[in-house]
Amino acid sequence: MPDVDFFNFFRWTLGTVVTIYASIVTAQSMYGWYVWLAGADKHISMIRRYVIVHGLRLRFLRFWGDVLITILLCVTFMLLWRAHAVVNQIGETLHSNVQRHAQQSH
Amino acid sequence: MSSGTPNNPIDVTALAKTSSDTSVPAIKPTAVPSVSGVTMAPSAFSRQLADLPREELEHLAEEYGLDGSDYKTPQHLIAALHERRQLIAGMDREALLDVIRWGRRPVTANASNELLAQQIVKIRTMRFHGLSQRGLVVLAQLRGIDLRGDEMIPDIVRKLKKQEGFFKKLNRKRRAMIGGWVSSMIGENVTAEYQFLPAPEAGRPETSSRQGTIKEEIEESGLLGGLTNRIKKSADSYVNQKLDEIEARIDRKLDEIDRRLAEWRDKEIANRLRILKITLWASVIVGAFSLIYSYIKVYVLQQ
Repeated sequence: MPDVDFFNFFRWTLGTVVTIYASIVTAQSMYGWYVWLAGADKHISMIRRYVIVHGLRLRFLRFWGDVLITILLCVTFMLLWRAHAVVNQIGETLHSNVQRHAQQSH
Repeated sequence: MSSGTPNNPIDVTALAKTSSDTSVPAIKPTAVPSVSGVTMAPSAFSRQLADLPREELEHLAEEYGLDGSDYKTPQHLIAALHERRQLIAGMDREALLDVIRWGRRPVTANASNELLAQQIVKIRTMRFHGLSQRGLVVLAQLRGIDLRGDEMIPDIVRKLKKQEGFFKKLNRKRRAMIGGWVSSMIGENVTAEYQFLPAPEAGRPETSSRQGTIKEEIEESGLLGGLTNRIKKSADSYVNQKLDEIEARIDRKLDEIDRRLAEWRDKEIANRLRILKITLWASVIVGAFSLIYSYIKVYVLQQ
Protein backbone atom coordinates (compact mmCIF):
# COMPACT_ATOMS: atom_id res chain seq x y z
CA MET A 1 0.00 0.00 0.00
CA PRO A 2 1.57 3.31 -1.07
CA ASP A 3 2.27 5.92 1.59
CA VAL A 4 0.22 8.94 0.38
CA ASP A 5 0.45 12.25 2.22
CA PHE A 6 -2.96 13.81 1.51
CA PHE A 7 -1.85 17.32 2.42
CA ASN A 8 1.03 17.21 -0.06
CA PHE A 9 -1.17 15.48 -2.63
CA PHE A 10 -3.78 18.25 -2.35
CA ARG A 11 -1.13 20.98 -2.64
CA TRP A 12 0.54 19.51 -5.69
CA THR A 13 -2.72 18.74 -7.47
CA LEU A 14 -4.15 22.17 -6.76
CA GLY A 15 -0.92 23.90 -7.75
CA THR A 16 -0.62 21.93 -11.01
CA VAL A 17 -4.25 22.43 -12.04
CA VAL A 18 -4.30 26.15 -11.22
CA THR A 19 -0.95 26.80 -12.94
CA ILE A 20 -2.03 25.01 -16.13
CA TYR A 21 -5.44 26.74 -16.11
CA ALA A 22 -3.92 30.22 -15.55
CA SER A 23 -1.28 29.62 -18.25
CA ILE A 24 -3.87 28.53 -20.83
CA VAL A 25 -6.23 31.44 -20.08
CA THR A 26 -3.38 33.98 -20.20
CA ALA A 27 -1.99 32.57 -23.45
CA GLN A 28 -5.47 32.55 -25.01
CA SER A 29 -6.10 36.14 -24.00
CA MET A 30 -2.70 37.32 -25.25
CA TYR A 31 -3.14 35.50 -28.56
CA GLY A 32 -6.58 37.07 -29.00
CA TRP A 33 -5.18 40.55 -28.40
CA TYR A 34 -2.24 39.84 -30.74
CA VAL A 35 -4.53 38.70 -33.57
CA TRP A 36 -6.81 41.69 -33.09
CA LEU A 37 -4.03 44.25 -32.96
CA ALA A 38 -2.19 42.70 -35.92
CA GLY A 39 -5.13 43.52 -38.23
CA ALA A 40 -4.45 45.57 -41.36
CA ASP A 41 -7.44 47.91 -41.07
CA LYS A 42 -6.76 51.60 -40.75
CA HIS A 43 -8.49 51.96 -37.39
CA ILE A 44 -6.69 48.89 -35.99
CA SER A 45 -3.38 50.37 -37.07
CA MET A 46 -4.32 53.58 -35.30
CA ILE A 47 -5.30 51.70 -32.13
CA ARG A 48 -2.01 49.75 -32.30
CA ARG A 49 -0.04 52.96 -32.40
CA TYR A 50 -2.18 54.41 -29.63
CA VAL A 51 -1.55 51.36 -27.41
CA ILE A 52 2.21 51.70 -28.04
CA VAL A 53 2.05 55.39 -27.14
CA HIS A 54 0.18 54.57 -23.92
CA GLY A 55 2.75 51.91 -23.11
CA LEU A 56 5.57 54.40 -23.58
CA ARG A 57 3.77 57.01 -21.49
CA LEU A 58 3.42 54.55 -18.59
CA ARG A 59 5.43 55.58 -15.52
CA PHE A 60 6.55 52.66 -13.36
CA LEU A 61 7.39 55.03 -10.51
CA ARG A 62 3.65 55.25 -9.86
CA PHE A 63 3.56 51.51 -8.98
CA TRP A 64 7.02 51.03 -7.56
CA GLY A 65 5.71 50.14 -4.05
CA ASP A 66 3.47 47.35 -5.32
CA VAL A 67 6.17 46.12 -7.69
CA LEU A 68 8.72 45.96 -4.87
CA ILE A 69 6.35 44.01 -2.61
CA THR A 70 5.57 41.61 -5.47
CA ILE A 71 9.28 40.99 -6.10
CA LEU A 72 9.94 40.38 -2.38
CA LEU A 73 6.99 37.97 -2.19
CA CYS A 74 8.35 36.09 -5.20
CA VAL A 75 11.75 35.79 -3.47
CA THR A 76 10.07 34.57 -0.26
CA PHE A 77 8.12 32.01 -2.23
CA MET A 78 11.31 30.70 -3.85
CA LEU A 79 13.04 30.49 -0.43
CA LEU A 80 10.08 28.55 0.98
CA TRP A 81 10.25 26.20 -1.94
CA ARG A 82 13.95 25.63 -1.31
CA ALA A 83 13.26 25.15 2.44
CA HIS A 84 10.70 22.45 1.55
CA ALA A 85 13.29 20.66 -0.52
CA VAL A 86 15.86 20.84 2.35
CA VAL A 87 13.37 19.60 4.96
CA ASN A 88 12.29 16.71 2.71
CA GLN A 89 15.95 15.82 2.15
CA ILE A 90 16.57 15.84 5.93
CA GLY A 91 13.49 13.69 6.40
CA GLU A 92 14.67 11.14 3.86
CA THR A 93 18.15 11.01 5.50
CA LEU A 94 16.66 10.54 8.95
CA HIS A 95 14.31 7.88 7.64
CA SER A 96 17.19 5.93 6.04
CA ASN A 97 19.30 6.24 9.25
CA VAL A 98 16.42 4.98 11.36
CA GLN A 99 15.97 2.01 9.04
CA ARG A 100 19.72 1.25 9.14
CA HIS A 101 19.76 1.34 12.98
CA ALA A 102 16.76 -0.94 13.10
CA GLN A 103 18.46 -3.44 10.78
CA GLN A 104 21.70 -3.30 12.82
CA SER A 105 19.85 -3.84 16.11
CA HIS A 106 18.13 -6.94 14.65
CA MET B 1 -10.07 75.60 -56.47
CA SER B 2 -6.81 76.50 -54.91
CA SER B 3 -4.85 73.56 -56.23
CA GLY B 4 -3.47 73.05 -59.68
CA THR B 5 -6.43 71.00 -60.77
CA PRO B 6 -9.53 73.05 -60.10
CA ASN B 7 -12.58 71.28 -61.45
CA ASN B 8 -11.30 69.84 -64.62
CA PRO B 9 -9.42 66.63 -65.17
CA ILE B 10 -6.66 68.41 -67.04
CA ASP B 11 -3.73 69.51 -64.96
CA VAL B 12 -2.68 72.77 -66.49
CA THR B 13 -0.29 74.03 -63.87
CA ALA B 14 2.85 72.88 -65.60
CA LEU B 15 2.15 74.66 -68.83
CA ALA B 16 5.34 76.35 -69.89
CA LYS B 17 5.47 80.10 -69.43
CA THR B 18 6.45 81.11 -72.89
CA SER B 19 6.78 84.84 -72.54
CA SER B 20 6.32 87.70 -70.12
CA ASP B 21 5.25 90.09 -72.81
CA THR B 22 1.53 90.69 -72.47
CA SER B 23 1.29 92.51 -75.73
CA VAL B 24 1.74 89.45 -77.83
CA PRO B 25 -0.88 86.81 -77.26
CA ALA B 26 1.02 84.60 -79.59
CA ILE B 27 0.44 80.90 -79.91
CA LYS B 28 3.58 78.86 -79.50
CA PRO B 29 3.07 75.53 -81.14
CA THR B 30 6.16 74.13 -79.46
CA ALA B 31 4.87 74.69 -75.93
CA VAL B 32 4.36 71.43 -74.09
CA PRO B 33 1.27 71.13 -71.88
CA SER B 34 0.98 68.47 -69.21
CA VAL B 35 -1.68 66.13 -67.96
CA SER B 36 -1.61 65.05 -64.31
CA GLY B 37 1.88 66.34 -63.88
CA VAL B 38 3.29 64.32 -66.79
CA THR B 39 4.63 66.34 -69.64
CA MET B 40 3.06 65.40 -72.92
CA ALA B 41 3.02 66.53 -76.49
CA PRO B 42 0.32 68.95 -77.68
CA SER B 43 -1.16 66.26 -79.89
CA ALA B 44 -1.52 63.97 -76.88
CA PHE B 45 -3.14 66.80 -74.93
CA SER B 46 -5.56 67.41 -77.78
CA ARG B 47 -6.32 63.71 -77.91
CA GLN B 48 -7.11 63.74 -74.22
CA LEU B 49 -9.41 66.73 -74.64
CA ALA B 50 -11.01 65.00 -77.61
CA ASP B 51 -11.97 62.13 -75.31
CA LEU B 52 -14.02 64.46 -73.11
CA PRO B 53 -17.77 64.79 -73.74
CA ARG B 54 -19.10 68.06 -75.11
CA GLU B 55 -20.54 69.16 -71.74
CA GLU B 56 -17.22 68.78 -69.97
CA LEU B 57 -15.44 70.61 -72.75
CA GLU B 58 -17.91 73.49 -72.43
CA HIS B 59 -17.46 73.51 -68.68
CA LEU B 60 -13.70 73.61 -69.13
CA ALA B 61 -14.05 76.39 -71.69
CA GLU B 62 -16.18 78.38 -69.27
CA GLU B 63 -13.42 78.17 -66.68
CA TYR B 64 -11.07 79.71 -69.21
CA GLY B 65 -13.47 82.48 -70.11
CA LEU B 66 -14.69 80.98 -73.36
CA ASP B 67 -18.30 80.48 -74.40
CA GLY B 68 -18.66 76.88 -75.51
CA SER B 69 -21.76 77.63 -77.57
CA ASP B 70 -19.69 79.88 -79.87
CA TYR B 71 -17.95 76.84 -81.29
CA LYS B 72 -19.81 74.50 -83.56
CA THR B 73 -17.70 71.39 -83.19
CA PRO B 74 -15.65 69.97 -80.32
CA GLN B 75 -12.55 70.30 -82.50
CA HIS B 76 -13.02 74.06 -82.72
CA LEU B 77 -13.55 74.23 -78.98
CA ILE B 78 -10.40 72.20 -78.32
CA ALA B 79 -8.39 74.47 -80.59
CA ALA B 80 -9.77 77.54 -78.82
CA LEU B 81 -8.96 76.02 -75.44
CA HIS B 82 -5.46 75.27 -76.56
CA GLU B 83 -5.05 78.82 -77.83
CA ARG B 84 -6.40 80.27 -74.57
CA ARG B 85 -4.00 78.18 -72.50
CA GLN B 86 -1.11 79.41 -74.58
CA LEU B 87 -2.31 82.99 -74.13
CA ILE B 88 -2.51 82.57 -70.34
CA ALA B 89 0.94 80.99 -70.20
CA GLY B 90 2.34 84.01 -72.01
CA MET B 91 0.72 86.57 -69.73
CA ASP B 92 2.67 88.76 -67.33
CA ARG B 93 2.25 87.31 -63.84
CA GLU B 94 2.43 90.72 -62.15
CA ALA B 95 -0.35 91.96 -64.40
CA LEU B 96 -2.47 88.96 -63.41
CA LEU B 97 -1.79 89.65 -59.74
CA ASP B 98 -2.80 93.27 -60.26
CA VAL B 99 -6.18 92.12 -61.50
CA ILE B 100 -6.52 89.62 -58.66
CA ARG B 101 -5.84 92.36 -56.09
CA TRP B 102 -8.19 94.74 -57.81
CA GLY B 103 -10.90 92.10 -58.15
CA ARG B 104 -10.30 90.85 -54.57
CA ARG B 105 -10.28 87.23 -55.68
CA PRO B 106 -9.49 84.62 -53.00
CA VAL B 107 -6.24 83.02 -54.21
CA THR B 108 -2.80 82.42 -52.74
CA ALA B 109 0.08 84.68 -53.79
CA ASN B 110 1.99 81.79 -55.33
CA ALA B 111 -0.91 80.45 -57.42
CA SER B 112 -0.13 79.50 -61.00
CA ASN B 113 -0.99 81.67 -63.99
CA GLU B 114 -3.74 79.23 -64.92
CA LEU B 115 -5.39 79.54 -61.54
CA LEU B 116 -5.07 83.32 -61.53
CA ALA B 117 -6.62 83.50 -64.99
CA GLN B 118 -9.48 81.23 -63.94
CA GLN B 119 -10.20 83.55 -61.04
CA ILE B 120 -9.97 86.65 -63.23
CA VAL B 121 -12.47 85.17 -65.65
CA LYS B 122 -15.01 85.15 -62.83
CA ILE B 123 -14.75 88.91 -62.40
CA ARG B 124 -17.71 90.40 -64.27
CA THR B 125 -17.58 93.95 -63.10
CA MET B 126 -17.38 96.83 -65.55
CA ARG B 127 -16.00 99.33 -63.01
CA PHE B 128 -12.32 99.48 -63.87
CA HIS B 129 -11.17 102.27 -61.57
CA GLY B 130 -8.05 101.35 -59.62
CA LEU B 131 -6.80 98.80 -62.13
CA SER B 132 -3.38 99.27 -63.71
CA GLN B 133 -2.82 99.43 -67.47
CA ARG B 134 -1.14 96.01 -67.61
CA GLY B 135 -3.97 94.60 -65.52
CA LEU B 136 -6.51 96.05 -67.88
CA VAL B 137 -4.67 94.48 -70.81
CA VAL B 138 -4.80 90.96 -69.38
CA LEU B 139 -8.41 91.43 -68.25
CA ALA B 140 -9.37 92.55 -71.75
CA GLN B 141 -7.49 89.67 -73.33
CA LEU B 142 -9.24 87.18 -71.08
CA ARG B 143 -12.57 88.76 -72.06
CA GLY B 144 -11.72 88.04 -75.68
CA ILE B 145 -10.51 91.46 -76.84
CA ASP B 146 -7.53 91.55 -79.18
CA LEU B 147 -4.95 94.07 -77.92
CA ARG B 148 -1.40 94.98 -78.79
CA GLY B 149 -0.58 95.74 -75.13
CA ASP B 150 0.57 99.35 -75.44
CA GLU B 151 -2.88 100.95 -75.54
CA MET B 152 -3.77 103.69 -73.09
CA ILE B 153 -6.19 102.99 -70.23
CA PRO B 154 -9.14 104.95 -71.72
CA ASP B 155 -8.76 103.04 -74.99
CA ILE B 156 -8.81 99.70 -73.24
CA VAL B 157 -11.79 100.68 -71.11
CA ARG B 158 -13.63 101.88 -74.21
CA LYS B 159 -12.96 98.56 -75.96
CA LEU B 160 -14.12 96.65 -72.93
CA LYS B 161 -17.35 98.64 -72.73
CA LYS B 162 -17.86 98.29 -76.43
CA GLN B 163 -17.41 94.57 -76.18
CA GLU B 164 -20.09 94.42 -73.49
CA GLY B 165 -22.95 95.11 -75.89
CA PHE B 166 -26.00 97.31 -75.63
CA PHE B 167 -28.43 95.00 -73.90
CA LYS B 168 -25.88 93.77 -71.41
CA LYS B 169 -25.04 97.36 -70.58
CA LEU B 170 -28.73 98.21 -70.19
CA ASN B 171 -29.22 95.27 -67.86
CA ARG B 172 -26.16 96.26 -65.89
CA LYS B 173 -27.42 99.82 -65.47
CA ARG B 174 -30.79 98.53 -64.34
CA ARG B 175 -29.12 96.23 -61.82
CA ALA B 176 -26.90 99.09 -60.62
CA MET B 177 -29.99 101.18 -59.99
CA ILE B 178 -31.64 98.39 -58.01
CA GLY B 179 -28.36 97.85 -56.17
CA GLY B 180 -28.33 101.53 -55.22
CA TRP B 181 -31.83 101.26 -53.81
CA VAL B 182 -31.05 98.09 -51.89
CA SER B 183 -27.79 99.44 -50.48
CA SER B 184 -29.57 102.61 -49.38
CA MET B 185 -32.16 100.43 -47.67
CA ILE B 186 -29.87 97.95 -45.89
CA GLY B 187 -26.72 100.06 -45.69
CA GLU B 188 -23.27 99.66 -47.24
CA ASN B 189 -20.53 97.57 -45.76
CA VAL B 190 -16.98 98.85 -45.62
CA THR B 191 -14.54 96.36 -47.13
CA ALA B 192 -11.06 95.85 -45.69
CA GLU B 193 -7.85 96.00 -47.70
CA TYR B 194 -7.30 93.01 -49.96
CA GLN B 195 -5.03 90.17 -48.79
CA PHE B 196 -4.00 86.98 -50.54
CA LEU B 197 -5.07 83.71 -49.00
CA PRO B 198 -2.37 82.24 -46.75
CA ALA B 199 -0.50 79.46 -48.55
CA PRO B 200 -0.91 76.61 -46.02
CA GLU B 201 -4.66 76.97 -46.13
CA ALA B 202 -4.80 76.41 -49.84
CA GLY B 203 -7.36 73.63 -49.37
CA ARG B 204 -9.89 75.91 -47.77
CA PRO B 205 -13.04 76.51 -49.74
CA GLU B 206 -12.99 79.88 -51.34
CA THR B 207 -15.61 82.50 -50.88
CA SER B 208 -17.25 82.46 -54.22
CA SER B 209 -17.38 86.01 -55.36
CA ARG B 210 -15.73 89.38 -55.25
CA GLN B 211 -15.87 91.16 -51.88
CA GLY B 212 -17.42 94.31 -53.23
CA THR B 213 -20.23 96.43 -51.92
CA ILE B 214 -23.80 95.19 -52.11
CA LYS B 215 -24.46 97.70 -54.84
CA GLU B 216 -21.63 96.37 -56.98
CA GLU B 217 -22.66 92.82 -56.36
CA ILE B 218 -26.22 93.49 -57.46
CA GLU B 219 -24.87 95.30 -60.49
CA GLU B 220 -22.75 92.29 -61.39
CA SER B 221 -25.12 89.46 -60.59
CA GLY B 222 -28.59 91.00 -60.46
CA LEU B 223 -30.86 91.62 -57.49
CA LEU B 224 -31.45 88.01 -56.54
CA GLY B 225 -27.93 86.94 -57.43
CA GLY B 226 -26.36 89.76 -55.40
CA LEU B 227 -28.55 89.16 -52.40
CA THR B 228 -28.02 85.41 -52.71
CA ASN B 229 -24.26 85.93 -52.82
CA ARG B 230 -24.42 88.12 -49.76
CA ILE B 231 -26.55 85.59 -47.86
CA LYS B 232 -24.29 82.77 -49.06
CA LYS B 233 -21.25 84.63 -47.76
CA SER B 234 -22.89 85.25 -44.40
CA ALA B 235 -23.94 81.59 -44.24
CA ASP B 236 -20.41 80.50 -45.21
CA SER B 237 -18.80 82.57 -42.49
CA TYR B 238 -21.38 81.33 -39.98
CA VAL B 239 -20.77 77.70 -41.00
CA ASN B 240 -17.00 78.21 -40.86
CA GLN B 241 -17.27 79.70 -37.40
CA LYS B 242 -19.47 76.83 -36.25
CA LEU B 243 -17.07 74.30 -37.80
CA ASP B 244 -14.20 75.89 -35.90
CA GLU B 245 -16.20 75.67 -32.68
CA ILE B 246 -17.07 72.03 -33.37
CA GLU B 247 -13.43 71.27 -34.11
CA ALA B 248 -12.33 72.88 -30.86
CA ARG B 249 -15.00 70.94 -28.97
CA ILE B 250 -13.89 67.67 -30.59
CA ASP B 251 -10.28 68.43 -29.66
CA ARG B 252 -11.29 69.05 -26.06
CA LYS B 253 -13.28 65.80 -25.99
CA LEU B 254 -10.37 63.85 -27.46
CA ASP B 255 -8.04 65.25 -24.81
CA GLU B 256 -10.56 64.31 -22.13
CA ILE B 257 -10.88 60.78 -23.55
CA ASP B 258 -7.09 60.45 -23.64
CA ARG B 259 -6.79 61.59 -20.04
CA ARG B 260 -9.52 59.20 -18.88
CA LEU B 261 -7.92 56.33 -20.79
CA ALA B 262 -4.60 57.04 -19.08
CA GLU B 263 -6.36 57.06 -15.69
CA TRP B 264 -8.16 53.81 -16.52
CA ARG B 265 -4.86 52.24 -17.65
CA ASP B 266 -3.14 53.18 -14.37
CA LYS B 267 -6.09 51.95 -12.32
CA GLU B 268 -6.20 48.68 -14.24
CA ILE B 269 -2.47 48.05 -13.77
CA ALA B 270 -2.78 48.84 -10.05
CA ASN B 271 -5.69 46.36 -9.77
CA ARG B 272 -3.73 43.63 -11.56
CA LEU B 273 -0.76 44.20 -9.29
CA ARG B 274 -3.01 44.01 -6.25
CA ILE B 275 -4.49 40.70 -7.45
CA LEU B 276 -0.96 39.37 -8.06
CA LYS B 277 0.06 40.48 -4.58
CA ILE B 278 -2.93 38.76 -2.94
CA THR B 279 -2.17 35.57 -4.84
CA LEU B 280 1.47 35.70 -3.80
CA TRP B 281 0.55 36.39 -0.17
CA ALA B 282 -1.79 33.39 -0.21
CA SER B 283 0.91 31.22 -1.80
CA VAL B 284 3.51 32.31 0.74
CA ILE B 285 1.17 31.74 3.71
CA VAL B 286 0.16 28.28 2.47
CA GLY B 287 3.86 27.56 1.75
CA ALA B 288 4.79 28.58 5.31
CA PHE B 289 2.08 26.34 6.76
CA SER B 290 3.28 23.54 4.52
CA LEU B 291 6.85 24.04 5.73
CA ILE B 292 5.74 23.87 9.36
CA TYR B 293 3.75 20.73 8.55
CA SER B 294 6.79 19.14 6.88
CA TYR B 295 9.02 20.12 9.80
CA ILE B 296 6.62 18.60 12.33
CA LYS B 297 6.27 15.47 10.19
CA VAL B 298 10.04 15.05 9.84
CA TYR B 299 11.27 16.00 13.31
CA VAL B 300 8.39 15.29 15.64
CA LEU B 301 6.41 12.38 14.17
CA GLN B 302 9.45 10.38 13.02
CA GLN B 303 11.10 10.65 16.43
